[in-house]
This record gives sequence, structure tokens and C-alpha cells, in this order.
Amino acid sequence: MKRIYKYLLIAAALLPASACKEEWLERQPPNIILEEQVWNDSRMIVSLLANYYDRLPAHSQIDAGWQEFAAYDEAMWSGNDDARNNIVSYPFERWRLWDYSLIRDINLALENIEKYGVKLTPAQKTQFSAELRFLRAYQYFELVKRMGGVPLVTKQLIYDFSGNPSPLQLPRNKEEEVYDFIAAELDAIKDNLGNTGSNTRANKFTALALKSRAMLYAGSIAKYNNLLGAPITTPGGEVGIPAARAKDYYTKSLEASREIINTGGYSLYRSNPNLGENFYEALTKKVNNPEVILAKDFLTAKDKRHSFSYDNIARNVREDNLSSSNVTPVLNLVEAYEYLDGSSGELKTRTANNSDFIYYDKLSDIFNNKDARLYGTVIYPGTSFKGVEVQIQAGVMVWNGNAYQTVESNTLASNYTDGKLLTGASGPQRSQTEVSNTGFYLRKYIDPAPMSSTRGIRSDMWWVRFRLGEILLNAAEAAFELGQTADALTYVNRVRERAGFAPNSLKDLTLAKLQNERRVELAFEDHRVWDLMRWRQAHEVWNGSPNNTNAMMYALYPYRVVRPGDSRDGKYVFVKMVAPRFRAPRQFQLGNYYSSIDQNVINNNPKIVRNPFH
Amino acid sequence: MKTLAIPSFLLALTMLLAGCEKDNYEPPKSTLTGRVVYQNQPIGVRSNGVQLELWQRGYQLFTKIPVYVDQDGSFSASLFDGDYQLVRLRGNGPWVDNTDTIKVQVRGTATVEVPVQPYYVVKNEMIQKSGNAVTATAKIDPVVTSRAIERVTLYLGSTTIVDANNNAGTHNLTGTALADLSKTLSFSVTVPASLANKEYAFARIGVKTVGVAEMLYSPVQKVALK
Repeated sequence: MKRIYKYLLIAAALLPASACKEEWLERQPPNIILEEQVWNDSRMIVSLLANYYDRLPAHSQIDAGWQEFAAYDEAMWSGNDDARNNIVSYPFERWRLWDYSLIRDINLALENIEKYGVKLTPAQKTQFSAELRFLRAYQYFELVKRMGGVPLVTKQLIYDFSGNPSPLQLPRNKEEEVYDFIAAELDAIKDNLGNTGSNTRANKFTALALKSRAMLYAGSIAKYNNLLGAPITTPGGEVGIPAARAKDYYTKSLEASREIINTGGYSLYRSNPNLGENFYEALTKKVNNPEVILAKDFLTAKDKRHSFSYDNIARNVREDNLSSSNVTPVLNLVEAYEYLDGSSGELKTRTANNSDFIYYDKLSDIFNNKDARLYGTVIYPGTSFKGVEVQIQAGVMVWNGNAYQTVESNTLASNYTDGKLLTGASGPQRSQTEVSNTGFYLRKYIDPAPMSSTRGIRSDMWWVRFRLGEILLNAAEAAFELGQTADALTYVNRVRERAGFAPNSLKDLTLAKLQNERRVELAFEDHRVWDLMRWRQAHEVWNGSPNNTNAMMYALYPYRVVRPGDSRDGKYVFVKMVAPRFRAPRQFQLGNYYSSIDQNVINNNPKIVRNPFH
Repeated sequence: MKTLAIPSFLLALTMLLAGCEKDNYEPPKSTLTGRVVYQNQPIGVRSNGVQLELWQRGYQLFTKIPVYVDQDGSFSASLFDGDYQLVRLRGNGPWVDNTDTIKVQVRGTATVEVPVQPYYVVKNEMIQKSGNAVTATAKIDPVVTSRAIERVTLYLGSTTIVDANNNAGTHNLTGTALADLSKTLSFSVTVPASLANKEYAFARIGVKTVGVAEMLYSPVQKVALK
């Protein structure tokens, strides 16, 4: 008995030893991924990069903030509230961005890939680091264009628990220093990026495209801020760039654009002989699109999708029973598209002496010979989407012997007493929501795929961040500012030729023409407000005055003429008006050029100086 | 059991009610009122445009209390009793930046005058109807000329709120018309159709300084149209 006891004791004493051999307490946790695992597995690094691409900030793009398309002078809001039609003045924090969490994550990644990435080849390490630095440069550009100079943090900041946090409190860098940092970073990494031919991950030409845009912004701020009666600056240069730097920045922008144009292998999309459809496809065709440089892609099959089409498709083409028609383009934008003979795009609704309407046989006739980009951007009366006519007619004009009486209906797709159409299935309506209030609908970025405007399926249309069309206009503007007008004309005329203009349609160039070209080519691509800001024109174009036709948003209502026995019976007339649901003229104040910095940021870091005017 | 249920329910109810009183803060009852003045005269501005800032130190939450100046130059705020700091926000009003802090003690009620140095002020303004137009004369008195004058405008409106953003008709003077400010300026606005049948309208004259977003206005005047 005593012996058995002894054996048992020995066996018991050995048990933990055998368990230790199996490392019972040192297994890999199945739900935690360690740094060593991430930085030695290229597939995990790619998924991490996907997360960072996804976190790039957006002001107005189709999957986030698209509502703000309706807050400037491209569109107004025809959905269920009036917030964007009644912006008394843009708040000072409107474009505020102080997102250092992405910067910190990228800085950490850059350090950890060096520290832990032992199994990666040096080439892989260089490429991933380059891509991370591209994303960091992109984020700094987003910060500087909203806030002016921000602290440049390029390594992780570690608190030493000494009770004194001042080493972590970095002051703001100068605005020009941030732009110089972006240029230097992009130059350093552009040849290491790889990803040749990709239009969803950064390659050499993506880096150059970002440089082209960022340097153009810096150049125009340097030039136009100093042309203001009182330039917007801070004593420390956190805001405001000296005028002497303008030439340097424009030159850098032009060089970057030229490299893309000459060696990038991109070309303007010209696959569809119908020029209007062609321009629509230039942004929406995801395969064999030689124009797109970088896009944020979506895929329904992987549940990466958005509701932009559900919310903004034309009313009578919608496939769901709710929403639609929220962002509706305004007449201001429609009239910015020139006629193909180069004349002003103003629509002709009245005779020259303003005594009578001009009568059109078809609804679309008033838009004949317009820039084809109008068709590709806006659904206007008499056109179709997904093969269905978007029925836009406000009502009828009945001749009573002396004058016209306007008859409109609150019922969509209703008939007048003569049995013919009174109000179209897509409105427009003066007060009803989720029907266009302006007489126009959005075409750009609306998904043509079946059922993509339903809540159940939604859309996987992509969002184009950079495309050759913009680069050509960047090049034209930079060349124009540098006095190389002949080159500028070549670039801008290439863009115009694709839109249906004759070759060399512009013979002389002004900044105003280039500005209008950007407005019509890049509408609904998150450019308008930033362009007006860098030209320092926003406070004049949107000055908050109800007498200013640029600050007020206009609508175009088509009517069918009811005048039996007259040759004008059955023809169409058009009425321009301030959009009925539009309330407050757009007002951009001097304090909006740089958004205000959150008081919490200043409280945490007293070295941060405030932006001017707030 | 039943006899116990009712008293305990009542007890719970009283506790809830008592709790409500304990949990809520009293709303601020003290008021601070004041005017933005130059030479003891209030400065007219655009309503909801110009802002002063109130700060209070000593609490964990340190964030500004914005105080908007009314169009007649007055302002008011409901506050708790305490010591506040009033700051003239840089580049915000039509006056020279002055970042000196004004200390304000609020005990019940308090009144404060905020002195400012405007760039230009409107003097001797006369606004009247003549024919189918509203005409005006005024003199612009340069106070601080470190910034140039950009524009002087007569605004006509249908309500007492008249400014650059709320008006029915305007007449702008710019450039050479403002070359000699010692002269009396004249304005004339044709009465717009929207006001033609009204008994009266309201008007005021505003002066815009280069690089300052907000304008300085004369007091609103009622103009009889009939």
C-alpha cells in the first residue's frame, strides 16, 4: 500500500512536466493577430492597406458625404428636408478635419514593417512602405486643404510618463511646409510603388496625379491669396503661402501632369460614338477604362456597396418605393455647359425682345447642340435612363385668348382634360419631396445595373479619385499660369474635343474659361468647392446676396402649350425661376477658407494657433 | 401582501420624483447685456453675423460661449453667476483687431460696454423717398485707415432686418466714387416691385472694409413710401 502511494505521488509530480512539453499555456490565441504575423505575411499587409485606403477622408463622394453635392452650386436638395437649401452661411467648422489616427496608424505600420518584417523580401518592404507613405501624403493633403498648415508627424509619439506632455505637443507647420512635404514624399516613393496598371492601388502615376493636384492647389493659394485686398495669413505662416512660391508650385504641378500625359499610357475614354453616353461611361465603366488613374472600388458580391443610386436615381426610373431624387442638378450648372459653337450656355426660353416664349417641338430641343458632357452628367427633359424616358414636364400652359394660364398637378403622371400629359412621372414639383424641384436629375455616377437602386441590392459603382481628364485640366491651368498658353490650349482642347467640340475649339484662354471647363468636366467629383477656395473666389461667387444669380439656385420648368387651332399647340415652352424649395442664398465667408480648429485640440496642445477669423 | 404593495409603490414614486429634482441643474438665470460702442455710439452690424466670445476658466469643460451681436450693436446672454472673460474675436467684426480681454463679473445682472475702433463709420445719413426711388446722402468718416475702403452700399428692405443678406434693393458705390471721403456721398435705389405697394420700407447704409467680411451699418431708418 505504501509503495503504491509512492508511485502515485511520483506520477502526479510528473504530470505537469509532461503537460509543459505540450506547451499547454503557450498556445497561439486564435483570435489575436500578432505584429510578427502581420508584417511577415504580404496578404495580411494588403488587407491592412485596404483598410487604410478605405479610411481616406471624404468630403463629398458617392459612399460618404454625397449629400453635400447639394450644398454648393451644382445641385440642390429635393429630398425630405430643407437643410441644404437653407444654409444661411457655411459654419466655420464645416470642412474641419483633424484625423491623426490614420496618420498614427500609418506611422506605426512604417516602423513595424521594419522591426518585425523579417520574412519579407527587401523589394516587398520597399513597395509596402512606399504605398503607406503615399497614403500618408494623401491624408496630409486632405488636412492642409481644409485646415492650412498642420503639425507634420512622421513617427509615433510615445509618452514617457514624466508628467510633462510638452514633447508631444507639436506646433503647426507652415502651410507651404506641408505642401513641400507632400511633394518631397511623392518624389521619394513614386518609383518604388509598383502596382503597374492598377487603378485601385497607387502606382507611380497615382503619386504623380496627387502631386499634380496638390501643387496646383499650393500654386493658386500662393498667387490668389496674395491678390486679395487683405491676404488671409497668420504671422507664423500656418496659413498663407508667399506669392514668390507660386511659380515653383505651378512648375512642379505641370511637370507631374506632363509625366502622366506623356508616359503614363492613359487616354481619354472614347469607346462610345454617342458622345453624351461616352462621357457618362468615362466615369462609370469599370472595365477597359483607360482614363481612370485611381478609384475607390465597390463590389456587390463582397457586400462592399453603397446606396447612392437608391437615393439619387430619377423618380420614375426608381426601382424601390422610397427615396430617389435627393441631389438634383440646378439650372446654374446646366447653363455652364456651352453650346458646341462656343457660345454661352444660357438656355433660350424667351424671344430676343422678351415678348413671348420660344416654342420647341420636342422637350429636348432646347438642349440641342450643347456640350455632350451635359448629357453625361445631368438627366434633362426629353432624355432617358436605363432605357426608360425620364418624364419631366411641370404642367401645361393654356391660352385663354389673351395670355397663358399655368396649370400644374400634384399628381405625378397625370393627364390634362385633353387626355394628354399634364405633369410628368418625374415632376418637377414645386413642393413635393423626392421629386426633382429643379427639373433635372443626376446621371453621373448613377448605376445603370438592374436593381442597383433598390435597398436590397444597392450599387457597386466606383468613385473616381483621379482621372486623366482632371490631369489635362491641371496641366492646362498650370501652363496658363506659367505663361505657356499654347501648351495650355493643347491640353484643354483635348478635353473639349472629347465633349464634342471641334478640334482646337479654344483659340485664346482666360482663367475664367479654364474655371468653367473644370466646373463642367468635373461636376459631382468633389472639386467645385475646393477649386473656388483655392482661387479665393468662393466669398464673391457665393456672397449670400439674394440679388446674386450665382448664389441663388435656379430651376427650369417645362410646359406643354394647350392652344387648340394654333400652330403652337402641343409645343413646349420653358420657364426659368429660383428653385421653389431653395431658401437661403449660398454664403461663403472669409472665415470659411480655413476651417476652425476644435477647441479640444487647442486645449490639449496650447501650441496650436487658431485659424484667422475664428 | 396587498396592503404592503401600495405603500411600497408610493414610496418608489416619491423617490423617483425626489430624484428628478436632485438630478437636474437649474437653468442659468443671470443675464449679461451690453453694446459694442465707438465714442459712446453703438455700432450697427448684420444680425447673426458678428460674434463675441465668452470664456470661463476653472472648469473641466473649457469651450467658448458664442455671443452674437444684434444688428443695433447690442448683445445679451443668459449665464450662471461667475467670472467671465469677454474676447473680441479677431477678424470678425468691422473693427480693428483688439485681443485685450474684458473681465466680466456676473452676479444677477451685468452690463458691459465693448469699446472698438472701427475702420470707417457712417455719419449724417439722410434717407428719404423721392419720386419712385429712395435716395440717401451720407458721409463716411475714416477712423482707422490701415485698411482701404471697398464699398459703401444703401440697402432697402421690407422688414427692420436690413443688411447685405436681407434686402430688396441696393445701390453700391465703389472705386473712384469713394476716392474723396470728405465729400458727401449720394445714393438712389428705385423702389422694387415687391415694395411698390407698401406703406413704408426700411433702409440703412453699410460700409465695407477690404479684407473684413462683415460691414458696419448706420441705424435702420423707416422710410415712408406713401
